[in-house]
Amino acid sequence: MRKLIEFRNIVKNFDGQIVLKGVNLNIYENEFVTLLGPSGCGKTTLLRILGGFLEQDEGTVIFDGQCIDNVPAYKREINTVFQRYALFPHLNVYENIAFGLRIKKLGNDIISQKVNRMLSLVNLEGYEKRNVTKLSGGQQQRVAIARALVNEPNVLLLDEPLGALDLKLRKEMQRELKRIQQEVGITFIFVTHDQEEALTMSDKIVVMNAGAIEQIGTPLEIYNEPANAYVARFIGESNIMDGVMLADYKVRFDDKTFECTDFGFKSNEPVDVLIRPEDIDLVKPREGVMRGEVKSVLFKGVHYELMVETKTGTSKTVKMHVVTQHDIDNREAGEKISANDFYVDSDDLENKEMTDQDFISIANAQAWDDENRDLSLTHVSHNIEKTPGVYSITFGTEKKTEVTVKVYVVHPEYVEDPRHNIGISALDFFITPDEIQESMAISTDLKTWASAEAWNLQDDSTVDITDVKFDFDPSDIKEGSYDITFSTRGRVYKVETTDHHEAGDKVGLLFGPDDIHVMHKEEGAV
Amino acid sequence: MKSFFRMSYPYILWIGIFIVAPMVMILLYAVTRATGDSTLAFQFTLDNFGKFFSDPTFMRVLLTSLRIALMTTVFCLLIGYPAALFIANLPERSQTMMVLLLTLPMWINMLLKTYAWRGILMNFDFSSEIRVFIGMVYDFLPYMIIQIHSAISKMDGNLLIAAHDLGANKWKTFMKVTLPLSVPGIISGITLVFLPAVSSFVIPKLLGGGDYVLIGNLIEIYFLTAGDWNFGSAISLIMALVIIASMWATKKLDRNGEEE
Amino acid sequence: MTEASKKKNQQKPFFQRFTSWYLVLILLFIYLPIGYVVLFSFNESKSLSNFTGFSLRWYENMFQDRTMLQSIWYTVIVAVISTVISTVVGTITAIGLSKSKRVVRNLVLEVNNLPVMNPDIVTAIGLMLLFISGKVQLSLTTLILSHISFCIPYVILTIMPKLRQLDDNVAEAALDLGATPWQALLKVIIPQIYPAILSGALIAFSMSFDDFVISFFTAGVGINNISMYVYSMKRYNPSVNAMSTLIVVVVTLILVAVNVIPRIKDKKTNKEDY
Repeated sequence: MRKLIEFRNIVKNFDGQIVLKGVNLNIYENEFVTLLGPSGCGKTTLLRILGGFLEQDEGTVIFDGQCIDNVPAYKREINTVFQRYALFPHLNVYENIAFGLRIKKLGNDIISQKVNRMLSLVNLEGYEKRNVTKLSGGQQQRVAIARALVNEPNVLLLDEPLGALDLKLRKEMQRELKRIQQEVGITFIFVTHDQEEALTMSDKIVVMNAGAIEQIGTPLEIYNEPANAYVARFIGESNIMDGVMLADYKVRFDDKTFECTDFGFKSNEPVDVLIRPEDIDLVKPREGVMRGEVKSVLFKGVHYELMVETKTGTSKTVKMHVVTQHDIDNREAGEKISANDFYVDSDDLENKEMTDQDFISIANAQAWDDENRDLSLTHVSHNIEKTPGVYSITFGTEKKTEVTVKVYVVHPEYVEDPRHNIGISALDFFITPDEIQESMAISTDLKTWASAEAWNLQDDSTVDITDVKFDFDPSDIKEGSYDITFSTRGRVYKVETTDHHEAGDKVGLLFGPDDIHVMHKEEGAV
Repeated sequence: MKSFFRMSYPYILWIGIFIVAPMVMILLYAVTRATGDSTLAFQFTLDNFGKFFSDPTFMRVLLTSLRIALMTTVFCLLIGYPAALFIANLPERSQTMMVLLLTLPMWINMLLKTYAWRGILMNFDFSSEIRVFIGMVYDFLPYMIIQIHSAISKMDGNLLIAAHDLGANKWKTFMKVTLPLSVPGIISGITLVFLPAVSSFVIPKLLGGGDYVLIGNLIEIYFLTAGDWNFGSAISLIMALVIIASMWATKKLDRNGEEE
Repeated sequence: MTEASKKKNQQKPFFQRFTSWYLVLILLFIYLPIGYVVLFSFNESKSLSNFTGFSLRWYENMFQDRTMLQSIWYTVIVAVISTVISTVVGTITAIGLSKSKRVVRNLVLEVNNLPVMNPDIVTAIGLMLLFISGKVQLSLTTLILSHISFCIPYVILTIMPKLRQLDDNVAEAALDLGATPWQALLKVIIPQIYPAILSGALIAFSMSFDDFVISFFTAGVGINNISMYVYSMKRYNPSVNAMSTLIVVVVTLILVAVNVIPRIKDKKTNKEDY
């Protein structure tokens, strides 16, 4: 196949930001090429440079053997379909399409012939005299395509042309565009951020990221053998794990060694391991290469998407003591007051300045008068010290309505998990049945009452406590002590299956050497 | 396409001659005094300004101009705001019709309209100030209404619905949503009324009779009757400064209240 | 509009009636002098307070009054010339500015605003001083030049927003399809901003037609426009009412035409859209 376009080392800066970092790319005759990447990766910039609307800062563009750097846009034999169609609002459909032909000063009969042929190619016969601003998105789209194609360019540039259409229409247009490209037989260069679109239409996909090309290949190659984690994540769903390539065809991840089909890595090289969710089968726990629990199920129509946890995260269990407090009633002043006993971490006393306000909230101390108006607690006195032990604290109002409760200062009790680099801490606590019943979000409140926290051991950043396990019914709770377990998220796999499962099911994960794809950790160079 | 910027060059030359140079001339005349017959014989001085500020008659004229401009502006605002609000609440067709009816008189020659008022007012016995006041309000009211209406009708209708949804009644919605958002319109309305009112000289001359003198009339007198261009220019400069000061003041209000 | 307001009477009759009456009063106030002028233009006598009978004498008078007719002629001629020149120059400049660097554009627009923001009298005096100091005698030419000076800014102010609204891609599409930059300008940009150009021209025309102060200070001896003529009348002349009435009729017709013709055009193209 003949090489039609060559980008050599294209560099482009915008306001000091490097948008294209020296891009090299070849495009051949009759290809449907897609530039794929997220917003800002440079794909549209590259397209506009080819079209002649932008000048590159460095590098050359070669078209059909000739350098076209100094050729203005209106002299290039390239036509563009713009993202928002850019139809001429003051011309009707026929005149929009005929615009380029009129510029070339072709005769009216020739123009009529070509325009009508285009109208039937895009299925818009009969629309000649229509006002373009009153057409639907899909129709405007087709006028834009006809307007570009009627000039018989060698290359058609399409800048995210389907973005404004709804899903069904978009899928239809994808098929149309592919058909037109094959029928007319010219090169299409298509820009999009939608990976499904790229997979559907392209002969060749160019995956771009931050101004550089990550990988070039056919849809099948890109999907099955992504060069690195970026490409793998961009196309299709993925599970990507840190692993070590022990030797050719042998990789180790998640504490297990697996046979795989990849080779050519250094011995013991750190790698990224990719397994697609649709390649994992769900079997009985004993039959799988890994075992886990289903955490969530999403119905996607075509299949269910399950999150399966094979390794639990780090957890800490504490005791919740449910007690009924009696309010203290000061009849003479017409006031009532109440508070709970509470636990305090001795480390917190050491490191943080704990104020009276802090104690009031932890104890849930409140005072109110006979009309149920809140009263402020102006008197707080205690004998709390930083060493573990039992102390007492008294809360009181102006009118001397008082309540005294116990304060348990305890040793800090964290769980530190060096393997996952996570630390987690939580305290026992006292609570009344009323407070539990009044809670609007019980898991969140339990975390607050227990002062539960989790953090990354290396950089101290906060880690989410995603799991709160408890065994009681919040609407019907009796006095007593209950276990509450807080955990962080462990290792989770995304699995696609058509079988029905429920959260809590215990399952086995099964996959073979073909399903494992090993990738280099650094950015893949092309 | 990029080279099209050169199309603006001819006009840039034009404004140098016909917009910038005239202002420079006024400035020059204001700070000089003619010492001979030729225009090139002059001497720098600030006497012109001194003459203005030291003479109580001139200060009275300045204050009268400011007073009547202020009265006109306030009145136009008080009468015009409700009008704009009511119009904005009309159905679309009636609204367009109302706006058209309001703008039609703006296209009719100002002198003809003022002259008509002269005829009407001859049948009544009002003081000069009242007659000038009526003439000014008449001339400037449509501008105030149109500016405020423009701001109110550009407001997103959904905001009112949101306010009602959150429990505000009609009065509260007006005070907390419509009024604050209409402030840009109020500011432009004030600008379009106060500034021309301060510098007006036709209306005072035609409706006020020979004795009612505002700053604009003063400038005319010194230029054409007395032939003292230096003093005339000085008065113009003073008036221009008053106007710049009030525009700066309104711009400050603009920045505080606006959400553009 | 009163009928529309009355339809809302179901909900809050008092308030609706109040708003309708309020607006009616305002309209009455606005049209009072106009009505007065039209009425008294047909008055038989010279009186300004008594309508004694119907007569066309003031119209006849007007057509025989050479000075009055001459002032109308000058007004129209100056307005037409100023409008044409300002519209052309204003359009070209606006397009040039839209492609200029931001610094240049903002500076030019700021200076452009001076005649708009300045009181008439300051602009007028400045121009007069300019001409006289430059030893240029005041004449019809200086009058026209002055009018052009204050019309162009309005044209630019009207066109700039519409230019900013244009989809850049449409002009690029023209280039993409082989049009040279000039062809793109004529075939694509201008047709798109056409309504703004028309609007600007209309505003320029009315600013020139209506002008008094600037004309007063920059016209040559013996050259009067309508405003200057009315200003300088020694005694009250009822023919002015006739002239005013004619102007009211013309203005109304123009405004109606400007508003109704686009609607008729729309209906025609709608029919073609089956």
